[in-house]
Amino acid sequence: MSHILFTAAGCARCNITRNFIREKGIAYEEHNINGEGKELFGRFYRDHRSAVVRGKEGIEFPVLADAASVRQGVGRIIAYLHSGTKLDGFINRNSLSKGWIDGLHVSGGDPALKEEFIEVLGFLKKNGMKLQLDTNGKNSSLLKDLLERELGDRVIMDLKGPQSLYRGLLGEEIKTTEIIETMQLVTRFPEYRFETTVVPFIRQGGLVGYLTPEEIEETAQWLREVTGNLKQPYILRLFVPETSSDERLPSVRKPSPDALFRYRTAARKHQVLTEVEKVPG
Amino acid sequence: MTYPSVYPTGATLYDPRRCWNGYTVFQAKEAGALLIDMNGGEVQLWKRFHGMPNRILPGGYLLGSTGERSTAFGVQDGIDLVQVDWDGGIVWKFDQYEYIEDPGEEPRWMARQHHDYQREGNPVGYYVPGMEPLVDRGNTLILSHKNLRNPKVCDRLLLDDTIIEITWEGEVIWEWVCSDHFEELGFREEAKNLMFRNPNWRPAGGGIGDWMHINSMSLLGPNRWFDGGDRRFHPDNIIWCARETNITAVIDKKTGKIVWQLGPYYDQTPEQRELGWIVGQHHAHMIPRGLPGEGNILIFDNGGWAGYGAPNPGSPTGFRNALRDYSRVLEIDPLTLKVVWQYTPVEAGLTFPVDANRFYSPFISSAQRLPNGNTLVTEGSGGRLIEITPGHKIVWEYISPYWGKMMKINMIYRAYRVPYEWVPQNPRPQERPIERIAVTRFRVPGASPGGPKREVNVKGVLPYRSDAALCVQTNGEDGPSANE
Repeated sequence: MSHILFTAAGCARCNITRNFIREKGIAYEEHNINGEGKELFGRFYRDHRSAVVRGKEGIEFPVLADAASVRQGVGRIIAYLHSGTKLDGFINRNSLSKGWIDGLHVSGGDPALKEEFIEVLGFLKKNGMKLQLDTNGKNSSLLKDLLERELGDRVIMDLKGPQSLYRGLLGEEIKTTEIIETMQLVTRFPEYRFETTVVPFIRQGGLVGYLTPEEIEETAQWLREVTGNLKQPYILRLFVPETSSDERLPSVRKPSPDALFRYRTAARKHQVLTEVEKVPG
Repeated sequence: MTYPSVYPTGATLYDPRRCWNGYTVFQAKEAGALLIDMNGGEVQLWKRFHGMPNRILPGGYLLGSTGERSTAFGVQDGIDLVQVDWDGGIVWKFDQYEYIEDPGEEPRWMARQHHDYQREGNPVGYYVPGMEPLVDRGNTLILSHKNLRNPKVCDRLLLDDTIIEITWEGEVIWEWVCSDHFEELGFREEAKNLMFRNPNWRPAGGGIGDWMHINSMSLLGPNRWFDGGDRRFHPDNIIWCARETNITAVIDKKTGKIVWQLGPYYDQTPEQRELGWIVGQHHAHMIPRGLPGEGNILIFDNGGWAGYGAPNPGSPTGFRNALRDYSRVLEIDPLTLKVVWQYTPVEAGLTFPVDANRFYSPFISSAQRLPNGNTLVTEGSGGRLIEITPGHKIVWEYISPYWGKMMKINMIYRAYRVPYEWVPQNPRPQERPIERIAVTRFRVPGASPGGPKREVNVKGVLPYRSDAALCVQTNGEDGPSANE
């Protein structure tokens, strides 16, 4: 038996996964962790602790294991069973509950694989999941396809910063027209918001510095100009150095949450509903 | 509560030798910000200039607001916080807290300020020797509103209280949101249950829950508790009180967490039970260093109706289940909760409890400690200001002659006394004593003089008893109660 599927009792996402496996005729072995599979999963968990994430509400099921890898969550499992690891950039771990799924990165994968990504999202949507997409501006044509096929119930755009710094903040080339198209598309989804994380980045001359309130004001102004609206839902987020993959940045001093209020004041000159993300106390 | 329909207004009593003399500023109902002298002379009215409250700053400056948001959409939302000079010119203004688009109104920024604010340099907003508020720079703390949802409190829209700190240039640099700390407040399950169903529902904007109704906010300032090592009382920490929940609390400025709290319950410890249930209180603040009683908490404990809890005959649903028909001014030691000084109907010389409601304001009101140890009390609902000595003698009394035309009441939200020197534009006024009128002999024009035209004697009558019984027990009849 190549695939082992661990499921939980009353788990809707487990049912969706099972349906997919059966629809595709994939051989598998299922163990219910609330019944006969309890001990087996206990042993499996001890052996694969690093591969199974335990969130605030416990372990998310289903969990799939085969000889090559361990996959957790309905999106990740279906994408894997559909296309192997090819869609990994598009679909990552889910953190939402109550019928929503996130970790769906429009900008994260190879646009040449968009049809496969769309097929996976279509299956999730057909089975009643609400899809929360995210984008940083890249792959705007894919976002357009998703909008037209109604495969996005909410979209969050990580607006990296002002136009003049965007490429540097993103860390790769991107056409301004593509960012602008994304910003415009985002506002056409049923729910959406724009977010900017006030990050440190390496400026010209090699110095590391945080985005400034003036640069956030510039970002808000750009958002207003592109969308023609000064009341976009716009959230400013605090940078968490520990989570940065850039080895030069974790040593950067973590800003105080209160520091964001100056940025909010600056942004509100152009986006009047700008708020700061609440940091759990 | 017996109120005559005819009585004098303006200053009615004044002992210059025992008063802490100065100007008094207050919001005269539907007239504007009014500055009066000790004889009730109206020194200046800033016409239609709003204020919740108004405050005089050194140099004859005045803080207040240019207006209030329509009550169709908001509850006590001040449009802005404004500093004007002696001639009414605006020298400082803040309104950029929330962009508001009310139907039928011009979209605009609003401060949504309500009930209190503090300018840097002075922790409480009233005169303290050596702690003058800044007039041309400095940050300002503002008590504001924000509409939000927090399912821990209620699944409907809440009118939440926020405290913001802004720079002189108008940048918001700090924000505290009350509902973020709901779980720290220690409500019992019955209160949470009731609050979820009725978070003090107000009709504005289609309905909104004014669940806490914070009505005062000030800094602790330097104090002996912090000097003694108690970090809860860091000078930068903020004290506030909320009338709907009977809570007075101190929050840590750095973390936002509640570090000291009085209420919502007063039945958990012997100290709380001795203090008695504080109901719908206003203007809770720490008496600043340099004033008599420094470090103690001064509170106008309104009475009236407030709180969420178990139903009782006066509150069939448990909403506003704490009831009392008289007020108290309490000065409390924040560590022991002992009452250090108080002014209640008993100290006012009223027969308790039958005549206690002659000292009673079920809403608004305040108490300011003065440098000579006197206390300026705003008994707000009746528009009465009194200055009381530590020995409870009234040495100044003023009744507002300003009744609203739209709201027929002469209420005063909160009055402040300031030194003459803070208003250099006006020559120091003359202080003329006002003797207490003997009300037993005072008659209005047209009334007959007092005293019977004829007296007759009835044989066998007994003298009146000094211990005569009324229909209810009075404070002369203390004995074991039914609960003991």
